[in-house]
Amino acid sequence: MRSAARLLGAAVLVAAVYALPRLLGGSVLVYSTCATIAIFAVMAYGTDMVLSYLGEVSLGHTIFWAGGAYVAALLATRAGANGWVTAAAAVAAALVLAVVLGVATLRTREFVFSLVTYAAAVVAMEVAFNWAALGGSDGIVGIPRLSLPLPGFTFSGSASAELWPLALGLLVVTVLFIHRFRRSRLGLAALMVQMHPDLAATLGLDPRLVRLRVFMLSAPVSALAGWLYAYQRAYVGPDMFEAYFLVLMLTAAVLAGRRVLLGPVIGTALILLQQNYLSLGGDGDRIVLGLVLASILIFWPQGLVGLWHLVARRRSARPDPSAPGEAAAERA
Amino acid sequence: MNVAQQLINGLALASGYACVAIGWTVLLGAARLVNFAHGQLYMLGAFVAWAAMHRAGLPYWASIPVAVAAVGLLGAAMQRLMGRLMLEHNLTSLMIVTLGFGYVFQGAAARLFGGEPQTLASPLARGTIRMGELWLSPQDLLVFGVTAALFALIWFVLEKTRVGATVRAVAEDPKLAQLFGIDASLVYLGVFVFEAATVAFAAALVAPRSPILTSMGFDEVILTFVVVVLGGVGSVLGTLAASLGLGLFTAFFGALVSPAYTTAAAFAVVLAVLVLRPGGLAAR
Repeated sequence: MRSAARLLGAAVLVAAVYALPRLLGGSVLVYSTCATIAIFAVMAYGTDMVLSYLGEVSLGHTIFWAGGAYVAALLATRAGANGWVTAAAAVAAALVLAVVLGVATLRTREFVFSLVTYAAAVVAMEVAFNWAALGGSDGIVGIPRLSLPLPGFTFSGSASAELWPLALGLLVVTVLFIHRFRRSRLGLAALMVQMHPDLAATLGLDPRLVRLRVFMLSAPVSALAGWLYAYQRAYVGPDMFEAYFLVLMLTAAVLAGRRVLLGPVIGTALILLQQNYLSLGGDGDRIVLGLVLASILIFWPQGLVGLWHLVARRRSARPDPSAPGEAAAERA
Repeated sequence: MNVAQQLINGLALASGYACVAIGWTVLLGAARLVNFAHGQLYMLGAFVAWAAMHRAGLPYWASIPVAVAAVGLLGAAMQRLMGRLMLEHNLTSLMIVTLGFGYVFQGAAARLFGGEPQTLASPLARGTIRMGELWLSPQDLLVFGVTAALFALIWFVLEKTRVGATVRAVAEDPKLAQLFGIDASLVYLGVFVFEAATVAFAAALVAPRSPILTSMGFDEVILTFVVVVLGGVGSVLGTLAASLGLGLFTAFFGALVSPAYTTAAAFAVVLAVLVLRPGGLAAR
């Protein structure tokens, strides 16, 4: 009963979110904001998997994000490939990149892992910037409309309003995937390796293998976001490696709270709403984003959800024995 | 290609890398802390020196202490904000928080100093010293000398003095050190300010080589990371050796193959080292 009610609740929520841009007036800005939130949230889920469940800071997920976009752009413009082919290629490319980076960093942890993934991202940007086959500093322009042929029907789109159903669909699939991952053996093993390494070792888990597998699983998530972003923008360039995306992914992962299922969506939505509707200019937005990231971890490490729990607990005068257990189950 | 000239170029590059990396090495090796805003502190050091010269009309030499003091103060402010995370030794959060600070610095610097590329003009950077076929700039010679002196001083302080012993004790176990009456948060403050001040000092010396941009922090610092990882995290002598190797590698790779891909090639070397020797070259 409870799971059926949850499923129904989730379906209603998705339907409501689907109608949201139309209800908000359906302007180009509304649609582009909504579609971009969905795409960036999917991108952030890649980093979130590594940060929340492995406890490592990957600064290299811009490689997968940009890699997915570059693969899609190259195949769509030079080979005329349809959306299924470019998506499959983006996933495959992300897996290959993740294996290379994952194996190289297999024995590194903490800041060495972060340093190396970060250096890899900077080097990838340099390669994209200098390599003529990848469009060099100009990037790849003129990406055609996304077309996804299905039996009896072809989904096609290039404007944000057309891509919105697909962006939302990708987000929903990603959230379901993360939900599934959190309950999978691998997800639990990752948490155990992060929080109780001794216990994990006692149970015969190989922490390196767990870390490598989670890393590999997280890469295609960011890559698929990049894939869709390439079509939304119709342009792919070395700017996709910029620190902005890195800081955005990390902020989205920590803003609502780590290990909160919908955390990255909420975080991304808050950040992009500020940038699209309350912008202080490029540099001002940078200051805001950086300050949000730093102050959340300094003042409320549990994120906004943790803050919410704190307020709720203070409000209810009598202690509720079921509440902390439920909160822990939500987060686990 | 002139081998001797490339050797000189390599040494000049190496001393720059080492000079920029020393603060990070001490922070990491002596205090086991990280600061991912290092590149932005470098950028701020260069721009504060530039502003002191071009907006306040100070000579180059007087602008260096201004940059060191300003960025050192900023480091102190960062440390005070992150004090709890440091005592908990929460490296994951420290990495992300310092990355956030770096992003704030980049945005703030663009507001304060504008988005145009600038030149930090040192009077020594324009001249050349010639020895027959070979040449180098007096600025390179200065960086080389200062870096050598700095490394000798740091090695001496960390290994041979009571201050160094205190810092190492806190790095080993902050709680235990506190039981012995050491104020761990004061030590963290000192090391953090030292890191910020040295990178500003390094920026004032090294930045005159190339145009400076407020967005350069994220990229500029990458070679520091490469040096620190290669040298074996936190090892002062390892950092020196790795800087030397990287400087020579960069000079020769740039001359023989392609200057556009030197960072990529250096990174490939790092990946190979990590697979073969995860602790870096200095690991036993």
